[in-house]
Amino acid sequence: MKYEIRYKPSFAAIFITLDPGESITAEAGAMTSMDGKLSMKTEFSGGFFSGLLKKFFGGESLFVNKFINETQEPLQVVLTQPTIGDIEAIELKSDREIYFQSGAYIAHTKGLNIGVGWAGFSSWFAGEGLFKLKVSSKSKGLVFFGAYGGITKKKITGEFVVDSGHLVAYEPAIKMSVGLAGGLLGSVTSGEGFVNKLSGNGDIYLQSRSIDGLVRFLRPKFF
Amino acid sequence: MEIQLLQQPDSAIARVIFNAREELVAEAGAMIAMNGYLNVSTTLRQGKGGGILGGLKRMFAGESLFLSVFRSPTAGCELFLAPKLLGDIFHYQVSNVGLVVQATSYLASGSDVDIELGFQGFKSLFSGESIFWLNISGKGDLLLSSFGAIYEIEVDGEYVVDTGHIVAFEKTLNFEIGKPGSSWLGAFLGGEGLVCRFKGKGRLFCQTHNASAFGQLVGAQLPPR
Repeated sequence: MKYEIRYKPSFAAIFITLDPGESITAEAGAMTSMDGKLSMKTEFSGGFFSGLLKKFFGGESLFVNKFINETQEPLQVVLTQPTIGDIEAIELKSDREIYFQSGAYIAHTKGLNIGVGWAGFSSWFAGEGLFKLKVSSKSKGLVFFGAYGGITKKKITGEFVVDSGHLVAYEPAIKMSVGLAGGLLGSVTSGEGFVNKLSGNGDIYLQSRSIDGLVRFLRPKFF
Repeated sequence: MEIQLLQQPDSAIARVIFNAREELVAEAGAMIAMNGYLNVSTTLRQGKGGGILGGLKRMFAGESLFLSVFRSPTAGCELFLAPKLLGDIFHYQVSNVGLVVQATSYLASGSDVDIELGFQGFKSLFSGESIFWLNISGKGDLLLSSFGAIYEIEVDGEYVVDTGHIVAFEKTLNFEIGKPGSSWLGAFLGGEGLVCRFKGKGRLFCQTHNASAFGQLVGAQLPPR
């Protein structure tokens, strides 16, 4: 399988070439265009109950689409997300895990397992979901995820503070707690409000804009 | 006429440099900046696809009733054009092969390019695009705009595009509405719904994103007006 993420960072789209016999699984509605000979199968996202969990708690679709190349020639499929923004790929080696905020997941190759995990109340207070999407690897695979705005990868050691709504993905060794950006008065007047206090060692992925921020801007003002 | 596309793909703007006595027709409101001595008039456009009837038909197609005409008295006049939304501009050279353009993607064209309102039949109702399409023929420059980047596919055989992602296609191609996989149930449960299945040989232009999908995502979180 070959892939290329084009039109980064604003209109990122994944151009995937599947060799004979290869397949990729994508979130419902992610397909923009594809070769007419590619087969598409719709299935529950990892079984019925797991699919339901993912729909209601992981912010993902109940069904996923599997694109399979059953011909003898390489075929192309183009995947994207509904929001404009960047897309990144992470290669997971065996026994590695990564957590996504709801809605970030786009597609994955075989060899990966997608589940839902409890993210906790502190995650919820920090403007993220109560649940998180857990991607784990049995052997080796690729997972694609997207964000609204650009994606920045950052390695953290120890404590790190992220504004609410900007954390897209993080490694399992990282713990979350909710806090104030400064003192009580400072947090309110600086417009930062609640922030997400991370601690631990590992990689985090940030999005440069948030949908919440856009919605707040577009919302009618009363004064 | 020389056309340069700048700031691609996210906030594309077209810079047009005219030769003497050249003309460009553009969607009303597309002008961003221009030389002061460029002549501007509005038209309902004469000839094929022109006149009041042609203008009214354009309104149905989601375009404006009037088109702006920019006429250059001397060589070297400059004009900047851009669409309203974020997105890409694509420069297509119209020649013998006609082009079918999704109506809201039209931005500007040279004066020898004919624009006519077309109807692709009732299948258009399901294509996720506006019901009307523009039939482009003649010769010259054509500028198309999109929400998202525009990519080109050389179709030879069969190609599938999700509804709402078509920008334009050459007339040597034909499409029908179909299902993406082997089952109808899968098509709806899988969120892809209907797709457009292109057949033939020719160039097809798609947009990576879709303004209405993004609008629904943001709009759903806004309070009702």
